[in-house]
Amino acid sequence: MGTEDGQESGEGTRRSRWRGLVGVSIGRLWKRATRTRSGRIAATTAAVAVTIALLVIVTGMALALADGGVATETDADVRIGPEDTGSLTAVDGVEGPRLGETNERAEQLRAADGVEHASPALVEKLRLEPANGEGEPRTVLVVGIVPDENDRTVAGLPTDPLESGDPHYTDETDDGPRRGEVVLSAAAAEELDVTEGERLAVAGLEADGLAGTEAPDEAAVPTPTVTVTAVAEGSGDAPVVLAPLSEVQTVSGASDGELADRVLVWGNDEHAAAAGSEAYPHAAIESDRGTDPATLFDDGLAFATSLLALLVGVTICASFVATTAGMTVDEDRRTLAVLESVGFSTHSRLAIVALSTVVTTVCGAVLGAALGLVGIGALNAVVASSVVSGAVAQAHPLLVPYGVIVGLVSGLLAVPYPLVIANRTSVLEEVGR
Amino acid sequence: MIDLSLRRTASTSASASTGPSRAESETGAGTEARTETEGNTNRHDGTAAVRLESVSHEYGTGGGRLRSGRDRTVTALEDVSLAVGAGEVVGLKGPSGSGKSTILHAVAGLLAPTEGRVDLLGTDLTDRSERERTRLRRNHVGIVFQRFHLLPSLSARANVALPLVQTGVGRSTRRERATELLEAVGLDDRITHLPSELSGGECQRVAIARALATDPDVIVADEPTGELDTTTGASVLELLTDAGRDGNRAVLVASHDDATLAVADRVVPLRDGRVVSDGY
Repeated sequence: MGTEDGQESGEGTRRSRWRGLVGVSIGRLWKRATRTRSGRIAATTAAVAVTIALLVIVTGMALALADGGVATETDADVRIGPEDTGSLTAVDGVEGPRLGETNERAEQLRAADGVEHASPALVEKLRLEPANGEGEPRTVLVVGIVPDENDRTVAGLPTDPLESGDPHYTDETDDGPRRGEVVLSAAAAEELDVTEGERLAVAGLEADGLAGTEAPDEAAVPTPTVTVTAVAEGSGDAPVVLAPLSEVQTVSGASDGELADRVLVWGNDEHAAAAGSEAYPHAAIESDRGTDPATLFDDGLAFATSLLALLVGVTICASFVATTAGMTVDEDRRTLAVLESVGFSTHSRLAIVALSTVVTTVCGAVLGAALGLVGIGALNAVVASSVVSGAVAQAHPLLVPYGVIVGLVSGLLAVPYPLVIANRTSVLEEVGR
Repeated sequence: MIDLSLRRTASTSASASTGPSRAESETGAGTEARTETEGNTNRHDGTAAVRLESVSHEYGTGGGRLRSGRDRTVTALEDVSLAVGAGEVVGLKGPSGSGKSTILHAVAGLLAPTEGRVDLLGTDLTDRSERERTRLRRNHVGIVFQRFHLLPSLSARANVALPLVQTGVGRSTRRERATELLEAVGLDDRITHLPSELSGGECQRVAIARALATDPDVIVADEPTGELDTTTGASVLELLTDAGRDGNRAVLVASHDDATLAVADRVVPLRDGRVVSDGY
């Protein structure tokens, strides 16, 4: 059945040979894994899977870190932000670029087809204290938005306890009444020691700041207090306050340019993204619910975390695969000798070793990527029930191919070691035993 | 009787009495090699499928990993000359260390002897590269080991089809050929079994089927009944001799057991790496 006259180098023959080698490699692995007692394949696959799963989870955490954590947790369909920012300015203390004319353009967006609602979101770190003077000032994250009548989530808090719209801006003079109402996360309420219905003041702000009015005729003389309209239970440990946009802009001095960190858009993804691009041609548009993985590169800490996870993952994975594959090949010396004795060339034998190693690694990586996504879900569930609300790690579809590619690279890095061992096999020593 | 000839066509068999050999054409051997072998005859039909001329081998100088020290060598073969014709079954008899296996390995191209010449189908293996010897072995030599050496994770059929993988034969043809061979050795009901699910005799039958997969011109068998009981061993030997005689193949069987060698047309006794007498 061998080919005649040495005509073994034809393209079809070569393809058949490669298909045969792949078949033998995978067939051997499958039979060893399913019909023999050898646990080495299972051990290798499991080790790679655990490593890749941990890598995916840590990268998911870095992604959440880059996304800004709970302060940017929203159910908006599209998020518009300045092109060159990825981190939350209030966290690192360095003010990044903001979007301008957000009130006007949000209005423009609301009028666009397929857009249900659009709201600027301005995040500021402020010191608040109970208006009755019985508590200490505490620093909290205040997020200013323009709510509508629907139940939405911004900064991990529900918007519906706030009155719809922002009357301060709906007045043509942009000097309408202020409502002075805020929604607190449970952590913020605990920190400030206030409950629903109690009043808060901005520490150190005498007047014309974050202010509420209880009657229209008091609008001209604003009092520096706001009323807690709701405390969102189960919103975790992050001290976050949701307030009308105009009041946060006034306090932060962002009202002149109508500045905001982001514009959140709800509605049809495509339409909202198109309207967003039209309103802000040079801004970054995130049209999915997840975070753009590219933001990892913009956030130093998140990038360092993910890079460290990658290096550690590849190192552990490649080392383990190299070791176990080397041990497997050492056990398989007789098999390699038999292959040589029946006419397998050196290249073919090494190809079988390499294919077996890489296929085992990739199988582990696929399993690990899936486990990683499950792990992210489990981690978020555990953390949400015990530590903070919101996602501490973000799942993203790209994490699956990322995990598989990392596994593949690890396998390729590990391959030379088993190849060296395989190449040292002496057929005479092995078949002579 | 089981038909173990299973040759493809008469033209592809080893009896190359005229013209370039299959082995030569595959390795690109030139006219010189052919000329050297012209006129060589064997004791069977006039042309030797296998010929050893003054072959000596020392492990330690050319024996690879068995080297035991810079100045220490072990002489495995000393001035051995031997010829085996197509369709002839030749037994190699001798105690352990007499050089039987080394002769088989040299014929199969698994080692290059330190001195002398090993002709396989008219091609001198000693001046071929390892790659060329591997190719010659793939297409012209079937090996049967004492301990079967089947791949434990492959089914009987996959083990038999294994040598065909490297030749680039398509999957369906490989399976067809392997099934045909397993039927020929009486294992048609064991096709999908793993070696661990087969008896020793069945394993050796699979090994013989594997050795025949590429339709070789030469079969070398090293203690093929060493692990088998007398009855099973006899049936295995019958398979081997049938494969040789019916398929016009040269068969070299190494054993220290007289009963095993009784099936041979000729027995060559060896002692300390030397041929005691060329056949009886």
